[in-house]
Amino acid sequence: MLLQINYKSGKPVYLQVVDQIKAAAAAGALKPGEALPCIRPLAEELRVNRNTIAKAYSELESIGVIETLPGKGCFLKENHSPLRKEIRRKMLIEEIDQAIVQAHHLQVPRDEFLQLVQKRLEVLEERRRSHENLKVEKREG
Amino acid sequence: MSSPTPAIEIQNLKYAYGRAEAVNDLSLSVQRGRCYGLFGRNGAGKTTTMKCLLNLLRPQGGQVRVFGLDPAKHEVEVKRRLAYVPDQVAFYPWMTVRETLDYLASFRDRWSAKTEQSLLERFRLNPAQKTAGLSKGQRTQVALIAAVCPETELLVLDEPTSGLDPIVRREFIETVIGAYQEGDPGNRTILVSTHLIAEFEGLIDEFTIVDGGQSVLTLHADEARDRYQKIRARFPHTPPEIDLSHALRVKKTGRELELIVNGGGPELLERIERQNPESLTTESLTLEEIFVATLQA
Repeated sequence: MLLQINYKSGKPVYLQVVDQIKAAAAAGALKPGEALPCIRPLAEELRVNRNTIAKAYSELESIGVIETLPGKGCFLKENHSPLRKEIRRKMLIEEIDQAIVQAHHLQVPRDEFLQLVQKRLEVLEERRRSHENLKVEKREG
Repeated sequence: MSSPTPAIEIQNLKYAYGRAEAVNDLSLSVQRGRCYGLFGRNGAGKTTTMKCLLNLLRPQGGQVRVFGLDPAKHEVEVKRRLAYVPDQVAFYPWMTVRETLDYLASFRDRWSAKTEQSLLERFRLNPAQKTAGLSKGQRTQVALIAAVCPETELLVLDEPTSGLDPIVRREFIETVIGAYQEGDPGNRTILVSTHLIAEFEGLIDEFTIVDGGQSVLTLHADEARDRYQKIRARFPHTPPEIDLSHALRVKKTGRELELIVNGGGPELLERIERQNPESLTTESLTLEEIFVATLQA
C-alpha cells in the first residue's frame, strides 16, 4: 500500500490518509486482517506530523475500517461497519449528492454520469480481481 | 469546559535593540501537543521572540507566559520544562560527543538513553569524536539529541535546519520530531522558527507568519491550504472583464488569467466559469506559497 500526500489538493492531510486507506481496502490492496504500517514509521515516511497519522487512524477506527490490538498494531477489519444501515445509506447519499453537483458544474449530463459510475465500479472490481489473482499466484508459486 | 493553559502565550510583545524595533506588538498562543511554526524572513523577529520565552531577553512591553508562568519570575521551572536549540550551537571544543551529552544530561531530571542511542546511530555520529571536529550539521545534530532526550513538554527550535545540507535536513525533521513526539504524543509541544517552510509542510499544525516584528497571519495549516488557492483560467481570446477585487493577486498574460485567492475561491470560480473559459483549474497553495503570497501582498 502506497500513500501519497498532496498539499495542493486542499484536503486536510489526515483525511487524505483516511481516504487512501479506505480506497486501498475497497480495491483489495489491503486485506481484512492485514496490518497497517505503524504510526511513527508511516509519519516519517510521509514526512508528516505523527499526530496527523494518529488522527487518521482513530478516524478509521471510529468508522469501523480498522481495529487496534493493544501492543500489536492496527489491522484492517472485516467489512463490518458499526453504523446502522440507514445511517450508512445517508452518508453515501451525501457523497453522491456532492458528485452530482460537481457533474452539473462540469457539464456532465445525466446519462454520461451514470455510465461513468458504472465504469468506475468496474474499474474497482477489476483492481480487486487483479489483487486476488496476485494472491493466488503467490500461493501457487 | 475550561481549556488547559496553553504551552505558550504571548501578548502584545515588544522588544527593541536600541532604536531598532525587533518585535512590535506580537501576540500568539500555542496549545499543548501542537507543532507550531513561526515563519518569517531573516530579521522578522523570530529569534527575539524565542529569547523572550527563555528569559534570555526581558520583554519591554506586553507579556509572555510558558505553561502559564512568567519566565522572568520562574526561570528554573520554565527551563526545566522545555528544551531549546538556538540558531548558533556552541559546545566546549575539548569535550567529545559522549562527554558533551553526559554534561548536558547532568542538568536534566530525565534523560532517555534509548532515544540518545537510536539518534546517535541514525545520525551516524561517533561518540568519541571531539566536538571541535564536528561539521555544522553534526553540531546541530548533537544539539538536537540533547534537546530531545530530556523528554521535556516543550521543544523550542530556532531555525534548526538552516545551514544544513538537504539530506541532513530531511533526515533531521523526520527523525527528531518523530522521536520527540513518540514518548507522549498528545502532550509534546513544538515551537519551530524557520524560513525553510517547505520542509516542515507536513509537520506544522498551526503557524504564524511574522514580518517586521508583527504577526501578519495565523492559521491552522489545513485551513490555510483550504483558503489559499491558485486559480488558472485560459480563454479563447483576451480574458473578459470579471470582478476580481477579492483576489489577493491577479496576473494576466495573453489569454490566461492566474489568481491567488484567500477564501472565496468557489464563488470566484463560478464567476469565471460563466465566462466560458477554455480551461479552468484550481489548486491549493502550499504553506511556502502562502508565505510568499502573504508577504508580497
